[in-house]
Amino acid sequence: MAVASLPHQHAEHAEGGVDRFYEETRDLRLTGFLFFLFSDVVLFSAFIFAYLYLRNSGQSWPPPGIARLDVAFAAWNSVVLFGSGATMHYALENWKHGNFNKYAGLLIATIVLGIAFLGGQAYEYTHLYFVDKISWAGSGIFGASFFTLTGMHGFHVAVGIVYLTVLLLQSIHGVYTKDKYFGITAGTLYWHFVDIIWVVLFSIFYLI
Amino acid sequence: MAVAATHVGGGIADHVHPEPQGFIRRYVFSIDHKIIGIQYLITGFIFLVLAGLLAEVIRTQLMNANGGFVSNNTYNEVYSIHGSAMVWLVVIPLMTGAFGNFVMPLQLGARDVAFPWLNMISFWMFPVAGLMLFSSFLMGAPVAGWTEYPPMSLQGEAGTSMWCAAIFLVGISSTLTGMNFMVTILKMRAPGMTLTRMPLFVWAQLATAPLSMVATTALAGALAALFMERQFGVPFFDPTKGGSPLLWQHMFWFYSHPAVYIMILPAFGMISEILPTFARKPIFGYKMIAFSSVTIALAGFMVWAHHMFTSGLAPFMQLPFMLLTFVIAVPTGIKIFSWITTLWGGKIHFTSAMLFAIGFVVLFALGGITGIFLASVPTDLHLHGTYFVVAHFHYVLVGGSLMGIFAGFYYWFPKMSGRMMNETLGKWHFWLFVAGFNGTFLPMHWLGFEGMPRRVAVYDPQFQFWNRVESVSSYVMTFAILLFFVNILVSLRRGKKAGPNPWKARTLEWQIPSPPHYYNFKHVPTVYGLPYDFSEPLPYRGLDDELTDAPAPVPAGAH
Repeated sequence: MAVASLPHQHAEHAEGGVDRFYEETRDLRLTGFLFFLFSDVVLFSAFIFAYLYLRNSGQSWPPPGIARLDVAFAAWNSVVLFGSGATMHYALENWKHGNFNKYAGLLIATIVLGIAFLGGQAYEYTHLYFVDKISWAGSGIFGASFFTLTGMHGFHVAVGIVYLTVLLLQSIHGVYTKDKYFGITAGTLYWHFVDIIWVVLFSIFYLI
Repeated sequence: MAVAATHVGGGIADHVHPEPQGFIRRYVFSIDHKIIGIQYLITGFIFLVLAGLLAEVIRTQLMNANGGFVSNNTYNEVYSIHGSAMVWLVVIPLMTGAFGNFVMPLQLGARDVAFPWLNMISFWMFPVAGLMLFSSFLMGAPVAGWTEYPPMSLQGEAGTSMWCAAIFLVGISSTLTGMNFMVTILKMRAPGMTLTRMPLFVWAQLATAPLSMVATTALAGALAALFMERQFGVPFFDPTKGGSPLLWQHMFWFYSHPAVYIMILPAFGMISEILPTFARKPIFGYKMIAFSSVTIALAGFMVWAHHMFTSGLAPFMQLPFMLLTFVIAVPTGIKIFSWITTLWGGKIHFTSAMLFAIGFVVLFALGGITGIFLASVPTDLHLHGTYFVVAHFHYVLVGGSLMGIFAGFYYWFPKMSGRMMNETLGKWHFWLFVAGFNGTFLPMHWLGFEGMPRRVAVYDPQFQFWNRVESVSSYVMTFAILLFFVNILVSLRRGKKAGPNPWKARTLEWQIPSPPHYYNFKHVPTVYGLPYDFSEPLPYRGLDDELTDAPAPVPAGAH
């Protein structure tokens, strides 16, 4: 709150405009959140480096005895994830324009698409495990790098689904206003971040 | 609506919370950056004592050429935990967590760091990680040194996995602190404090924070991979399963080379505050010192493979890494020369803080020079894995970082406690420490040249004389540190009152009472210039009420 010389206004002013305290703390939180995403990129980069390093230290890729990954299935699954990026983008836009119902519908669509992506990944994992007999610990550096990196990404998607669900409940309960919606911005940034990581992972595991 | 309603009410600078009254909220789970800084300081000193005792176990074992004080395996455990604890539980938390937390927001004219709660969480990860690290002794501590190279670390006992978890946790703490400091420095400076008006200690923290953020996260990846390989058999590093031990070295040193700058850049900042204050002269080359910190931080990411010249690195990779490493000597040299020029013609006051600062410059320069021998491929092929390396990194880490911590402690202790340190004890501490330090680590240079290998519990009898000199000197060094702790305890009770500005220093933290109030500043000041022009009036406005009985800011009630 304010010092004695300044009016106690920022709590009561939630209805119209943004008070200076909110504006400044939002700026801090946004910067901090971007730094957090950046260091998460570094964490993925460490494993991506490890994967490329190991892949290039051997003679052939995929290693002998490892079947090629199902690119077509993974491509369709990627479309599901990228689609959720689009719905999330429009969810935020609709929030900014005050269209609560469209916002809620698009957010629910994002969550459903995210779950569908995880379902696809689960199907792919079971197929690899039971049909192709490829496992995390038992298939050399292929299993190690593939399951670790896609698993890390899947974990991030799962965290994102929980996050977006919390956002949905919060916005139903009126936590955010037309001007104060940092949580939704952060959720959108996080979801796009998860998408971009997938672009890289899809390229290095399925395309090259 | 929106335009008119924007900028209503006070911003962060006007936002004051009431000081919590209960002991737990005030001193244990505090969110005040000053209390958290002191918590880091106390915890770091406790780990300094524990890791220092491990060092004495090492030196006692090496009194005799055939050892005999502890078993060979225990010896391996002891030096592994000694190194890990000194790096991750002593130097890094003291440099960033302790001094960064206490001093940096005060020097910026901020009321706290950007995320006080996150700051508290970062702190509490640190003692937990420390306990985890030391508990690894109970389950068979790691034996492959602080670098834990596979395949040896894959064969270590259960404690090696505990080591991974502990370092991972303290790494997360360091990453979060780095983010917090970045946002604080970039976004929470007092009005008028442009980047090029910031004190050099803040510049040093600004150069360090991205290193904590980026490099430490990369280490987290390496540690997670090692942990998964040890616990679940996921092959990353085991060559029999297609993995590569060299991969660990790349990932580890991609972190650990920047980490040596996390351990030294804040000390550079402290020295740049202490030297002008006690030479009563403006710092020489303010911008060059500030920018050279940033240059060192950036270049630090491009030199990691100079630790791997003997690991089978492709020869065409060796030359660029060697040259880039030499390049780092340029910004470091700029700093050394700027400090010498700051002292030149100054009216030098030889307080304990100043003695440690000057000792830092000399000993760090020596450590830097031996670094050139190790960065150069032909000499490194001979010196790698010998005591020469041990001598080098103890000169930069003890003669550099630890001396910096002592200098900073003598300098800011009056601000933290409101009392002066005992100068006589301080000078005994300094001279005994420097004598013991050189007696311990100087002979290691020629022992290394003659081929004495590091990390071995017994050695060739021809090296016994100098090893005995080292061991006896190390006891002198330990005694000096004991005097330091006695000095702290005596000064806390009997030290004379410091007043707000005992050193007549000019940065913002010295313009407010010692210790500062909970809210730091009654009114956030406006800054008009650099803090180093000793002949000019202070470049601040709005500090008139700080040392008077003027009313404090009114806290918001139950916010």
